[in-house]
Amino acid sequence: MKYHIPQALVTGQEKKAESTYLLSFHAPEIAKDAQPGQFVHIKTIEAYDPLLRRPISICYVDREKGLVVLWYQVVGKGTKLLSSLKTGDSIDVIGPLGRGFDTAISGEKIYLIGGGIGIAPLIFLAQSLKEENNITAFFGGKNKEQLLPVNQLTSINCELATEDGSIGHQGFVTDLLLRRLALEKPARAYACGPNGMLEQTALITRKHNLPLQVSLESVMACGVGACLGCTCEKGSSGEEGWVKVCKEGPVFWEDEVKLL
Amino acid sequence: MIKPDMSVDIGGIRMQNPVMTASGTFGFGEVYEDFFSADELGALVVKGVTPEARIGNPPSRLVETPAGLLNAIGLENPGVEAVLKDYLPHLKGYSVPVIVNIAGNTIEDYCLVAERLSSSEVVKGLEINISCPNVKAGGMAFGSHPDMAAQVVRAVRKNTKLPLIVKLSPNVTSIVEMALAVEEAGADAISLINTLLGMAIDIETRRPRLANIVGGLSGPAVKPVAVRMVWQVAQHVKIPVIGLGGIITAEDALEFIMAGATAVAIGTGQFLNPRCCPDVVKGIFEYCQNNNIKRIGDLTGIAWKEA
Repeated sequence: MKYHIPQALVTGQEKKAESTYLLSFHAPEIAKDAQPGQFVHIKTIEAYDPLLRRPISICYVDREKGLVVLWYQVVGKGTKLLSSLKTGDSIDVIGPLGRGFDTAISGEKIYLIGGGIGIAPLIFLAQSLKEENNITAFFGGKNKEQLLPVNQLTSINCELATEDGSIGHQGFVTDLLLRRLALEKPARAYACGPNGMLEQTALITRKHNLPLQVSLESVMACGVGACLGCTCEKGSSGEEGWVKVCKEGPVFWEDEVKLL
Repeated sequence: MIKPDMSVDIGGIRMQNPVMTASGTFGFGEVYEDFFSADELGALVVKGVTPEARIGNPPSRLVETPAGLLNAIGLENPGVEAVLKDYLPHLKGYSVPVIVNIAGNTIEDYCLVAERLSSSEVVKGLEINISCPNVKAGGMAFGSHPDMAAQVVRAVRKNTKLPLIVKLSPNVTSIVEMALAVEEAGADAISLINTLLGMAIDIETRRPRLANIVGGLSGPAVKPVAVRMVWQVAQHVKIPVIGLGGIITAEDALEFIMAGATAVAIGTGQFLNPRCCPDVVKGIFEYCQNNNIKRIGDLTGIAWKEA
């Protein structure tokens, strides 16, 4: 089910490092139905500039309190406006949208690979998978400050990598992934982050025959599969053409889309 | 309080209200089912259909501009046979009239699609797309010359008994000349405007933002152009005009109606508000009630009729 809640109440907004924010709002229907990997589509202003909604992955839900939490980065006009919202303001939200991660898995060793703000949907995924699976997360960012919200949001076992070495390994998350894969064989991996990170991750998981799901981002207009604007090239498992990131994704099996 | 008559007639297609969807913004009627029933619409206009399946243009296909949206989708569609087999049967359960937008590279293409769609009991009308700015052949080429536009309409007319709406491009010198040409050729109604040809450049990469380089501009940014064209055309043709271009609210829709539109269509507005169409229907109804308008048709062209 999809909901349109024109007056969802903002319950909190905290500024974090690297122009990222944690925003929570009250939308019990969305909190109840959302699956990890799905997104909400937000109108950031009543006026017409920016015109379109902004698609943002759900980072965490509190079903009891009916809260949806987003961890997002300010990258342009729309997210800038979003960052100015305060507790008590209302936002116009549609959701949950898209196809989320495949969570039909239990009793397995699972890897989460996240880079920068791409960590956000993996937090929700960990929330849903951690009871029944053994999760290891490889999260990377610019520096220690950027990764601080991870501890606030989840208690899963994380290996960290930073560009400046201020916490964890100095280098890429894919270094950590490679190192760990030399020691054990997990059943599945999930990744979200910059394209370069997704490409490198896919190269590694292919070599190790490790099934991988990736969450992609795209500029979107409708967010529901109507406008055909957010296309991504089909991968080796499909014929020539495009997939719709909003509707057939944003989560895909790695071979459904062309990452490399 | 009066109960205004909202029904309109577009070239023989009876509509319970004047609000339609704009082709290419509503899929084949399935995508907005979670938000409202298509039966709340005046008519459902579905995506442009060509004889063969088309994959459309490569990404990126969208650029947001101030109060506007540039798109270059490129008529991605599954082709007429797949539409007949896999998409239209799904619409049988609705009472709303279904209108299919048709496109092609050649006159023969248009005729073939029209003929095939005429075999469907679901289809109540055709909208001839001679105005898509995002494809290399056909599309706008037919829509920028009155003689060529008339040829397409005349040929399609021979291949179907369905009411024919012709969707005009705003990218022409004289929109009135185009409208008169297609009316004379047998069009039952005219819809305008399709998108305005535009482009945007990324100053970081120093390249066009759209893979197709140019695209069609829609949204509130184009509304004044669209209202002006409806105003001009409606005063010169006898057939009904469907107005579209940047409609988001009932107030926008009423502007088009007062400029001479018998019905209106909503496209980009749907992306902002998934309940845009039913909201606009309700807003028009309330305006009529509050202003003692007995029939919505009484407002069509009122801006020039009473001048």
